[in-house]
Amino acid sequence: MKKEDRPARYIKERKGYFSEAQVDRTKKESKKMSQRIRKEMSSKKVRAKAMSYFDDVMEYGGPRVAELEKFKKGGGKVVGTMCVMVPSELTYAAGARSIRLCSGYYECVHPANELLGDAGLCPMVKSTLGSEMVGANPITDLVDLVVTPATCDGKMKLAEILEDWVDVHIMNLPRVKTGDTTSKTWLAEIEFLKSRLEALTGRSIGKKDIIEQIELYNSAQEVYRDLLEHRKGRRVSITGQDAMLVAQASQMDDVRRWTKKVRELVLELDMMEREGRFVGEEGGARILLAGSPMIYPNFKIPSIVEDSGGTIITDELCTGIRLMSDPIVLESRTMRGVMEAIAEKYFYPCSCPCFTPNDERINRIKMSIKAFGAEGVVFHSLRGCHLNNLEATKIELELKSAGIPMLKLESEYDEGDVEQVRTRVEAFVEMLRARR
Amino acid sequence: MSADYKGRNIRPLRVVFQLGAFAFFIGQLLGLPPFGTEPVLRRVFLPNAACRYMNTAPTSCFYYQLQDSLAHGASDLFASALIMLLVVILLVLVLGRTWCSWLCPFGFVQELFSDLRELVGIPFLRMGFASRVLLRRVKYAILILTVLITVPLGISALGLAGCTGALSLPFCQVCPAKGFFTIFQQILGLEPWSTRLPLLAWASLLIFLGTNVFMRMPFCRICPMGGLMALFAGGSMIYLKKDPDRCTKCRICLRVCPMDHDRVYEEMGRIDVGGEDCTLCARCVEMCPEEGCLSLAAGPFVLVTSRPPKKVGLGRIFQRIRGNDR
Ligand code: SF4
Ligand code: SF4
Ligand code: SF4
Ligand code: SF4
Repeated sequence: MKKEDRPARYIKERKGYFSEAQVDRTKKESKKMSQRIRKEMSSKKVRAKAMSYFDDVMEYGGPRVAELEKFKKGGGKVVGTMCVMVPSELTYAAGARSIRLCSGYYECVHPANELLGDAGLCPMVKSTLGSEMVGANPITDLVDLVVTPATCDGKMKLAEILEDWVDVHIMNLPRVKTGDTTSKTWLAEIEFLKSRLEALTGRSIGKKDIIEQIELYNSAQEVYRDLLEHRKGRRVSITGQDAMLVAQASQMDDVRRWTKKVRELVLELDMMEREGRFVGEEGGARILLAGSPMIYPNFKIPSIVEDSGGTIITDELCTGIRLMSDPIVLESRTMRGVMEAIAEKYFYPCSCPCFTPNDERINRIKMSIKAFGAEGVVFHSLRGCHLNNLEATKIELELKSAGIPMLKLESEYDEGDVEQVRTRVEAFVEMLRARR
Repeated sequence: MSADYKGRNIRPLRVVFQLGAFAFFIGQLLGLPPFGTEPVLRRVFLPNAACRYMNTAPTSCFYYQLQDSLAHGASDLFASALIMLLVVILLVLVLGRTWCSWLCPFGFVQELFSDLRELVGIPFLRMGFASRVLLRRVKYAILILTVLITVPLGISALGLAGCTGALSLPFCQVCPAKGFFTIFQQILGLEPWSTRLPLLAWASLLIFLGTNVFMRMPFCRICPMGGLMALFAGGSMIYLKKDPDRCTKCRICLRVCPMDHDRVYEEMGRIDVGGEDCTLCARCVEMCPEEGCLSLAAGPFVLVTSRPPKKVGLGRIFQRIRGNDR
C-alpha cells in the first residue's frame, strides 16, 4: 500500500502538527550543529587534507545532497537504510542509491518527544523520527523507500511509525543466530528485499549486476583495511573520529568514488607518517570505542575522549569499522549461491547486541584489542539502549579477566552531560597511563 | 575486465594430486601397459584406491579387501583383517582424510559433478540440520551392517563359510563405484561392452548420478570407508586447524563446505576442527576471510592458512593503473 492510501497510525493530521516556528528552529539548529562539528573536526592542528571530501559528503545539505537531488530529478530512486544489515549491493544493483537515515542531530529529538512522550526511548530513534517528521534534514526528502531490519525494539517501532510519512520495508530479522531456520528465514527476507527493490526501480536485478557491486564493496573494504593499518602504529595519523566519519560516508556516497577518495587519503596518511606528523598526544592512552551507534554529527563521546588525552585506535561500532569489515565471499555463482553469500555476510558476522547469544562481539573486541594494541575500552550506550547496557555488563566482566579496564558511559542527545562525561574520561585516561 | 576476489588458491594443487592418483589407479589412462588380471600390486591396499572392479588397477579398494578377509576370516582367526585395519588406521592417523579429498578417485568424480552443476547453474540442495545429521549416521550404519554380514561368514563354527559370492561382498553389491567404473572402462574401451552389470549395481549407479544433479558429494556423505576413516581422523597429524580467537563467526566456512561439516563453524574451543565429515579439502581455508583463522596443518607446521580476499589476476593491475574504476 502506498503511504497516501494508508491511514496514519500515530498522527491524524500530518500537516500543521508541528508549527512553522518549530520546523524552522529544528532545521536551523541542525544545520548549525553540522557546521559546528565540521569546524571542530577540521580545525585540528594535524589532519589529512583529503578528509575535507568526507566532511562534504556528510555535511547537512552538502554537495552530496545536491547530487542526489539531481539524480532524483532524472527519475532515480533513493533508498534510506537504518542499519548495517541492509545490503547496499542490491540497492545499487537495482539502479537506486542508498543512504543512511539514522540521525545524529540533537534538535530533532524534540518533535519526536512531543509526539510520543516517551522520554526513555533511544535518542537516535527519536532523532531519526523527528528529522523525518519535520523534514529537518534535506536527505529525508530524498528517500523513496526506507529499508530496515527489525533489530532492536526502538528501531522496529520506529519503522512502524515512519510509515505514516514514508514507505517502509521492514525485514524480519531472526534474532537467534543459532537456530536451524535462521539462515533460511534471512535468505528469504533478502530475496524478498530484492523483489521489493526491483519493483521500486522497475529494473530487474541480474546476477552480473550484483557481482559487480559485490566487487566494488569488496574493494572498498580492501582500501579501508589499508586505512586501518595506519591506526596500529605507536603514533597514528588519523583520529578515531575521522576514521568513523570516513566509514559513515561510505553509506552516503557512491562507493566507487568513495574507494578512490579513501585511497587518496591513505596515500596522504603514508606521507604524513613519513614526515612525522601525527594526531593526538605523544603517549596518549590507546582506546577502543564500543557500544551504541554514534551517528554523525553526534560525535560527542569520541571528541571528548580524543580531547582528553586518549587516542581512539579502533572501535567495535556499527557506525565505525563494522561498516567496512567482513567481505562477501562468493563461492557458488548461481543466483541462489550469490544471494546466500549476501544474506550470510549481512547477518552472521554482525555483532549487533540485538542478537543472542552474540559471543562474537566480545571475540571481536578482544581481537581488536590485540591487533591494535588497545589499553582500555570505552563502552558507551545511548540512554534507553537496553541491549547495549546489558551487554556492557557481560563485556566488562570478560575484559576484566583479560586485564583490560573498561569505562562504561551513558549519554543523551544534548550537550548537558558533556562536563560530567569529560571528568570521567579524563580520570580513565589517567588511570590507563598510570598502569603502564 | 572482471576481477575476482580470492583468498588462498589451494584447489589447483589438490587437482594435481587427484589427477595423479586417478591416473595411477587407472594406469591405462597414462598409456601404461595393463597390470594383468591379477597384478602384483593387487595386494597393496590404500584407504581408498581404485575399485576392485577396475580390471587393470594396480591396487585394490580397501573396503573390498576388508569385506573379503572378514568373510574368509576363519582360516586365520581374522588376523589378516586386523592387520589390514591397523595399517589403514595408521595411514589415517598420519594423513587424516586427505585420503578423501586429495586422492580418492570417487571423491574426485563427485567434485567434477559439482563443477558441472555449477557450470550449468543448478543450485544444490541445502539440507537442514536434521538431515545432515541423519546422513552422517548412515555411513556408520553401513559400516556396522557390513561387519554384521561378513563376520558370521568367517566364523567357521557357524558353518556359513561356504556361502561366499554376493554375500561375502555385501557392500560391493550396492556400491555405485562398481557400476560407475565398469561403464567408465567400457567407454575407454578397456572392458568389453558385453560385460553386464547386475540390476542392483545399475540401480545404485542411477541413484548416484541422480543425486549428483542436486547434491554436493552425495556418496561421500554415506561412504562407509569415509566412516571408517572418520573414526580415526579426529587426531590425525595432518589436520584442519582453527584459531577461534580470529573467528568472526561469519559462517562462510560452513556455507562453502561441500560436506556440510558443521564443526568447522561451530567449534570455538578445540584447535582441531576436522575429523568426522571433514575430508580436508581445504575449501574453507580458501574462503575464510580472516587472516590465520583456518589452516591446514601438519603437526606443528602450518601448511597453508586463510587470509582476506584480495583482487587477483588482471583486475589487480587495472585497479593499480586507474584507481578503482574498472
Ligand atoms: S564396488 Fe565399491 S566397495 Fe567394492 S571394490 Fe569397488 S569401490 Fe570398493
Ligand atoms: S568419503 Fe569415500 S568416496 Fe568420498 S572421498 Fe572419502 S573414500 Fe572417497
Ligand atoms: S570462515 Fe573463518 S571467520 Fe568465518 S566462521 Fe568460519 S572460521 Fe570463522
Ligand atoms: S571443513 Fe573445510 S576442509 Fe573439511 S570438508 Fe569442509 S570445506 Fe573441506
